[in-house]
Amino acid sequence: MAAHSVLTDELVKQLIAVGQVDVLVALPTFHNASSAAGAARAAVLGLARHFPRARSALLHVDGGSSDGTPDIVLRASGPDLDREIRAQTLRTIQRISAPYDGLPTKATALRAVFASADLLQARAIAVLDPTVTSVTPEWIAALIGPVLRDRRDFVAPVHQRHPLDAPLASQLVRPLVRAVYARRIEEPVAGEFGCSGAFVTRCLADAIWDREMAPLGVDASLSLAALAGPFDVCQASLGPRVTAPDAPRPALADVFRQVVGSIFACMEAQQSAWITRDGAQEVPLAGEAPASLADTTPLEAAPLVEGYRSGLRDLGDLLAPILEGGTLAALREAAASDPLAFRVEDSIWVATVYEFAAAYHRQVIHRDHLVQALVPLYLGRAASFLLECVGKDLAEIASRADALALEFETMKPHLLRHWEPNHGGES
Amino acid sequence: MRYAPDEHQARDPLSGASGSATLRVHPSSATANHLMPDDLWYKDAVLYELHVKAYADKNGDGIGDFDGLIDKLDHLVELGVTCLWLLPMYPSPFRDDGYDISNYCDVHPNYGTLDDFRRFLAAAHDRGLRVIIELVVNHTSDQHPWFQEARQSRDNPRRDWYVWSDTDDRYEGARIIFLDTEMSNWAWDPVSKSYYWHRFFSHQPDLNYDNPAVREEMWNVMRFWLDMGVDGFRVDAAPYLIEREGTSCENLPETHDVLRFLRRRLDESYAGRMLLAEANMWPQDVRPYFGEGDEFHMAFHFPIMPRMFMALRLEDRKPLIEIFDRTPSIPASCQWATFLRNHDELTLEMVTDVERDYMVEEYARDPVARINLGIRRRLAPLLDGDRRRIELLNGLLMSLPGSPVLYYGDEIGMGDNVFLGDRNGVRTPMQWTGGWNAGFSTADPERLYQPLILNPIYGYQAVNVESQRRSEHSLLQWMRRLIRVRRSHPVFGRGTIEFLHPANHRVLAYTRTHESESVLVVNNLSSSAQAVEIDLRPLEGAIPVEMFGGSPFPRIGKLPYMLTLAPYAFYWFRLRWL
Repeated sequence: MAAHSVLTDELVKQLIAVGQVDVLVALPTFHNASSAAGAARAAVLGLARHFPRARSALLHVDGGSSDGTPDIVLRASGPDLDREIRAQTLRTIQRISAPYDGLPTKATALRAVFASADLLQARAIAVLDPTVTSVTPEWIAALIGPVLRDRRDFVAPVHQRHPLDAPLASQLVRPLVRAVYARRIEEPVAGEFGCSGAFVTRCLADAIWDREMAPLGVDASLSLAALAGPFDVCQASLGPRVTAPDAPRPALADVFRQVVGSIFACMEAQQSAWITRDGAQEVPLAGEAPASLADTTPLEAAPLVEGYRSGLRDLGDLLAPILEGGTLAALREAAASDPLAFRVEDSIWVATVYEFAAAYHRQVIHRDHLVQALVPLYLGRAASFLLECVGKDLAEIASRADALALEFETMKPHLLRHWEPNHGGES
Repeated sequence: MRYAPDEHQARDPLSGASGSATLRVHPSSATANHLMPDDLWYKDAVLYELHVKAYADKNGDGIGDFDGLIDKLDHLVELGVTCLWLLPMYPSPFRDDGYDISNYCDVHPNYGTLDDFRRFLAAAHDRGLRVIIELVVNHTSDQHPWFQEARQSRDNPRRDWYVWSDTDDRYEGARIIFLDTEMSNWAWDPVSKSYYWHRFFSHQPDLNYDNPAVREEMWNVMRFWLDMGVDGFRVDAAPYLIEREGTSCENLPETHDVLRFLRRRLDESYAGRMLLAEANMWPQDVRPYFGEGDEFHMAFHFPIMPRMFMALRLEDRKPLIEIFDRTPSIPASCQWATFLRNHDELTLEMVTDVERDYMVEEYARDPVARINLGIRRRLAPLLDGDRRRIELLNGLLMSLPGSPVLYYGDEIGMGDNVFLGDRNGVRTPMQWTGGWNAGFSTADPERLYQPLILNPIYGYQAVNVESQRRSEHSLLQWMRRLIRVRRSHPVFGRGTIEFLHPANHRVLAYTRTHESESVLVVNNLSSSAQAVEIDLRPLEGAIPVEMFGGSPFPRIGKLPYMLTLAPYAFYWFRLRWL
């Protein structure tokens, strides 16, 4: 293999055979034997149904699975499916299946995907998450269509969720990204997305892959690169997102490293792009906005409150160089409150997040420690949100989440003030 | 997949391994005895379709004629074609370009006399060219005396030569073919006050083949021309001869009975003559027209044609592989006829709706180019005059199974005129020179049966035989070389085909094999250069020799055989074990 290439010789060989394509659907896998078949099948069906005239390919890259994932993907997307779709498609839907080189991480896999897409000069690329079992052929249309039809550069998914689901997204990621990047995007960190060839080329040229935290949080890095750069971004409604029961469930600390750490790293790298932005523009949605799911199993608040209290206690003085005195005092006051009346108010939470982001920027402590220190505080905020929503209907809960997002927007000057290099931590 | 004639019926006329290798000439067909003695000549043939009216006008009346055609036979010999297919030259009111015949046993006076035809036939045979003519069996013109008699009264002896009804609701299962012009398959005859059946235009009443007298008379027509020496017939609209209630009135067993009757009569007295079926259907539906080698010798393979264009535009071999997957084997004595373009529209009946939409969008963006379910364009304009694509499609035509049929003018890349109505835009005068009337006629231009192509790209001053004959690198000269190579190797006409499946789907590769000869064909369907690795291990040890230039390529080994191809390039390799 050539030096410094992210493409293995086997992959290059297959790419040469395929040649230029219009549409590429990528499925990066690593030990996904139980779930990848559905996505592979949906990808081929989606290409056949929705892009019958396009030169299209399914690109499956694998990190060296020992559970038979490559064979399963091959079977699910192979000749039997060709017979099924023969009347629907004009062209051969090409299949590429090869290992990628390096550590089996999403970032390595996506770098190989992007390099492949660039080599094939793909006009539109959709990346699927192999752990998701609810992928349908319509997802391919939703992620690719806006790129081909409307010349969008990045298509972020919008999933059908209950507003109490994914509190990390609703309480931190979504409102933070919305306020910082001034774009109202539902899923800033998603395992599936669509993008243009131009976006791929730009990402390959940028230092995005080598950025701090990028190996862990490539999904966030790519979304934020789209929001920060000169790219036309839209959202596409995909429906419910169901993951395989045996899909890896990383610990919350690892999730924070991947997601929050990546966002902080991106904010650092892209400050020139967002620092002058204010407000938050709507990001167009292709298709209809999904109705909220009616049912969910919300987290229990009590263990979260306990985690908050013990974390706050354990962190002790570690928080002092990160947070303003007033913010820290308010957090400690909340910890001491009656469990039923437990609240971490919006303004306190927003200040906390912003002060952490700024501290990350100013490297007041080791960055990984800093991100980990936010975890118990987040538990408190999540508990507060859950308690606040008890007895509320879906619309009221959604409204409550939106109020928080507005608070993030309103308080953006707080972030900017703390972001300045000579900021001492107190104001 | 492997497509091959039924081997159990194989007879090898070249080696004379079985069967007769001598030409059995009917005593009265005096002009045929100089031709190659091979009853299966059509398997190696390169056919050339032409209109007498469009080819060359000797008498200066603005319409091509047999004397003009005789003068141009040397062009056809130089081109290398081996068999001429004349479009209808019968007397006709010309409401369907001669497919509305009013007398089966004469030629239209516009083209000359029967004696002129005989002289033409002899001149063609003298040059080694066979000649087949149209046989419009399904219907006559409404001006034909048979129909004029039949309509006179319900008890006229000719009445039962056509299909009549008091109502217009019989045979409702039969589709209407000319959707653009016809509302029903029945037309009202005000003379006999009843309806008559017509599958095509209403001025073309269908003959009633349930009547034995009609069969006998059609055989008499065939015999008339066979005795004169014609080498065969292109049988028009073969599937529609018989009507039965509750059916589509197409491909009925009784229709095959009629066709077998005509073939039997032919074989009894006229060996070495050929019947070519026009049945625009899926290959599995055409297959019965070969029977067990006892119906047609040849049949057009219609669905290949649009798929060659489709594969080229899609840059993907899928459409062609699929249609060969759907092509059944045929008796060893039979042959498919393949073509790129002909006198009709590029018909899109034998494609799916998805494919049709694509083809129309890609090849007929201008709605005026569309007619019926097809596209009324010639080969060169369909391909934007791109020489590379024209060559590639001709290369495919000449190397895939079947005997190729060229359409007059396409050997020089003639253009068309979609504004002439119906399909007349692809039937304009042959462009011989850049001079007066393109060398077609000495008449005043206003008298020409149709205007010449005049535009700066395809006009006769830019595209003509004379200039291309002088240029070594012209399309005409290239076509001559292509045909020469094809004719030099019987494998193309008689060989089996085996498709190869390299990972690169822009490359269509196959081997053709006949007896000890094997040929490897590799086509780049793409507008960009391609690299391809082909698994040729079964051919290990062979040295591929490029057939146009004779250059040897590296010996085939165990590893995948690597080739690079320029945009739209193709290779024909003769595989030598030396």
